[in-house]
Amino acid sequence: MWCPSSWKGRGNLWKVPGNFPVVDPDKVAAAQQGDALALDELLDELAPYVRRLCARIAPAAADDAAQEALLAVFRGLPSLRAPAAIMTWVRSVTVRTAIRLARQHEVEAAAEETLTDSRASSPEGLVDIDDAVARLPVSQRVVLVLRTREGLSEQEIATALGIPVGTVKSRLSRARAAFRKAWDS
Amino acid sequence: MTYPVTSSDIDPVDRLAILAAALPGAAVAQRRIAAPFDAVWRVIADPGATPRYEPGVAHVRVIEQRGERLRLLVQDTAGREDVMDARLRPGWCLMQSATVVIAFAARRLGSQTLLAHLEHQRSQTPAPRRSQPHDRSAALAKIDQELRAIETLAIQNRH
Repeated sequence: MWCPSSWKGRGNLWKVPGNFPVVDPDKVAAAQQGDALALDELLDELAPYVRRLCARIAPAAADDAAQEALLAVFRGLPSLRAPAAIMTWVRSVTVRTAIRLARQHEVEAAAEETLTDSRASSPEGLVDIDDAVARLPVSQRVVLVLRTREGLSEQEIATALGIPVGTVKSRLSRARAAFRKAWDS
Repeated sequence: MTYPVTSSDIDPVDRLAILAAALPGAAVAQRRIAAPFDAVWRVIADPGATPRYEPGVAHVRVIEQRGERLRLLVQDTAGREDVMDARLRPGWCLMQSATVVIAFAARRLGSQTLLAHLEHQRSQTPAPRRSQPHDRSAALAKIDQELRAIETLAIQNRH
């Protein structure tokens, strides 16, 4: 399986990261019942994961994306039917929120770019792998990050994004090609 | 470039907004307090100061403490006692009994402080009754009054 060679040197990037939170379903159930101290602890456990995902998918709007994702997660918590499945749900809410914020930021940045320069869309000035990934279009960046940095399967990515597996495969293929082109140039 | 640096902790005022999102019917208000963070937080962290800004409370005593987790015995002005479990650290105070949730969150704003305050009746969850507009405005007015009283105490506490 392909991944940027320098990522391989950073440990096994194909496994789910060790700091993926394991949340006690009883705590989730208590939080759903309005136990504020359980909610507080749940926030401690979920926030680092949500922030990490947002930093990878929406690097230019990470703080806003994380706050919006956590608001959406906690607002929706009372209606979550399966407390044991909370992480799948949190991942899906976070990824979709991060994509929305990343796209919004790109639109704003593009508007500003017309007044300044086109540095962000050009390979010139690439500093490192993360920079190259951050410059990919959002739809490609998100599948590459989820596959290579978060260790999700194509099926899991499809579920998180609400798109067919075939679309995940094609976006991954385009993302890898775009990354190689940017990195080799 | 690497991924942007994000602080490891959530800002307390942002944290309060997230908590409120999970507590339907919670009343939340903020006030820019004309006193530095440390002076404001001395008021919040002092159980003895609570009756000076919370009109229904006569006395608060810490009966157990382990790190930032506390158990409080709260006596109201009618003499009734209630136990509250709490988490307290600089900028964040969350207290809960069987019936009520109270939270404070503070953010430094230079020489001033942004203080947010939440009050929530636990019986409202998970299926909140439809709160009447006057209930909500009364709750917000009470919070605003408490924030003003805390500001007065914090200004007195400034030095």
